[in-house]
Amino acid sequence: MNENNNVLIRCHELTKNYKKGNRLVTPLEKLDLEVKRGEFLALMGPSGSGKTTLLNLIAGIDQPSEGVLEVCGEDIGKLSRSKLARWRAAHVGYIFQLYHLVPVLTAFENVELPLLLSNMSRRDRRERVEHTLSLVGLDGRMHHYPKELSGGQEQRVAIARALVASPELLVADEPTGDLDREAADSVLQLLHQLVEEYDKTIVMVTHDPRAAERAGRLLHLEKGRLLETEAG
Amino acid sequence: MMNGLFSKLLRMTVLASKQLIRHRVRTLLTLLGVASGMFLFTTVQTMQRSLDKSTKLQASDTTLVVYRENRFCPETSRLPEFYLDEIARIDGVREVIPVKIAVSNCGASLDVITFRGVPADRLSNYAPEMKLVDGSFEAWRARDDGALVGKELAAKRGLKPGDAFEAVGVRVVVSGIVDSPLPQDNSVAYVHLPFIQQASKHGLGVVTQFNVRVNDGADLDAVSNLIDDRFRSETEPTSTQPEKAFFAQTARELIDLISFTRWIGLGAVLAVLGLIGNAVLLVVRGRVKENAILQTIGFPGVAVAYLVVCEGALLGFGGSLLGVGLASLFLKLRGLSFGNEGQVMALLPDASVLLSGMGLALVLGMVASLVPAWTAMRRPIVESLRS
Repeated sequence: MNENNNVLIRCHELTKNYKKGNRLVTPLEKLDLEVKRGEFLALMGPSGSGKTTLLNLIAGIDQPSEGVLEVCGEDIGKLSRSKLARWRAAHVGYIFQLYHLVPVLTAFENVELPLLLSNMSRRDRRERVEHTLSLVGLDGRMHHYPKELSGGQEQRVAIARALVASPELLVADEPTGDLDREAADSVLQLLHQLVEEYDKTIVMVTHDPRAAERAGRLLHLEKGRLLETEAG
Repeated sequence: MMNGLFSKLLRMTVLASKQLIRHRVRTLLTLLGVASGMFLFTTVQTMQRSLDKSTKLQASDTTLVVYRENRFCPETSRLPEFYLDEIARIDGVREVIPVKIAVSNCGASLDVITFRGVPADRLSNYAPEMKLVDGSFEAWRARDDGALVGKELAAKRGLKPGDAFEAVGVRVVVSGIVDSPLPQDNSVAYVHLPFIQQASKHGLGVVTQFNVRVNDGADLDAVSNLIDDRFRSETEPTSTQPEKAFFAQTARELIDLISFTRWIGLGAVLAVLGLIGNAVLLVVRGRVKENAILQTIGFPGVAVAYLVVCEGALLGFGGSLLGVGLASLFLKLRGLSFGNEGQVMALLPDASVLLSGMGLALVLGMVASLVPAWTAMRRPIVESLRS
């Protein structure tokens, strides 16, 4: 595979700005970044440094103001809302800090959500969901509602939901931020396993140095610019 | 491709149903509100529909009512019974029957009993469509104070053959229960003409009206003119009209009252619209983040909008099933009928009213959800996630 094909995310002079009242806010400014396939990248930085903005742009839930943003071979800055939705469904899984499971749906139904708009049959969906829940160690909790699960288990369900459509890229916004140490370790171990055994590419925003240590590469952001690059 | 789209829509509908079923209290309260509105709407529509059936002339109508000219109440319309033979001889007349009406209340009323005195030997020829559902014609013929009671009146009063009941100062015994495709017949009691004449202060030989069946509906105007021309110079001149036009003229109070209820029906529809709109708007506001999550995991905005519209439609349809069902049950069990000047109009819900009620509620649910759906699909994901 040549070098270009091996790059999953490419940002060139990526800028994001928005208006807050009469003020123009620029959380990201002329940022250049490349992330290779199978990489586990951690983004750290103080609040307001642009970490989550970058993550949202990479996940295709926000649009850049300027610059180029190619993810999974697509210039996603130029896609319409509907194309971007289809692109997200096929290429990205998003893991939130607060899990954001649908409270009235069981673990199984939450994980099945991304497959509802696919052309998969009911049986195929069931098999895929069961397999994914077993991958995250929750095969015994399939029919539990989120309120019946611990924080760590809820985050595992959220990871299963992000994984179920087999995306190449997982983005995680402080996935351990709301967990105790034991649950956090277990979730980080799972993310690491996804990179090592399933060739997933992960971009993770974190404040937790212990979480960042698990990543293969660590980037620091400050005032919308990359400061330094470290080996994880 | 259509199959795939249908399958996805079905999955979205199931998802919307789960949201409703698993938020039981909120859903139940909204359904009860919608059901109340649709109950009112169905009742009002049933009144309007029954009124239309009773007053709008159709090509198949062949009945004329001969009344005393310038009289609009059974108490004041008096015609000599001997007009019968004269009317029967007029061209185009198939059958004629003299009717003496005694009514418990001449004004507009929800609880009225109407006796129609008719010659026993003429009834089956005049109204062959009338079927006996209980008792016997022979028992009626054999008994002077016998009555054939319309099924709606019998159900309302809990009457069966052998029972006696009293109204308008007249005591009769039920000989049979009858069912007729003409709604008016089902809400009255047929008794013997001489019996009701003797019970009234006018005595024998005087009737309230003649009911005339013509050979062809197209002859209604011509035959009515011939009848009125025949008696124009008599001391009791007549005014002849198609039965439904006669109803529309004599039951004006009733028609005014029912026409007014149209506004109540419109109010019920607006209330349902507002209720569903408010419920769905609250749902969307409370689910901003959840909708953003769905979009993050790949649901296009239009799928999120579909879910919102689907919830509104399900609330509308579910509430209407409940409201329309309860209204038809209520109207059937209560056997309500309006009476005015001896004319009776039974309130019977028909399939067109029930289906239009359910269809309307479904559309109302969807319309009420359009603005919340648009809001949900257009709101930027990042902004929703931060909320």
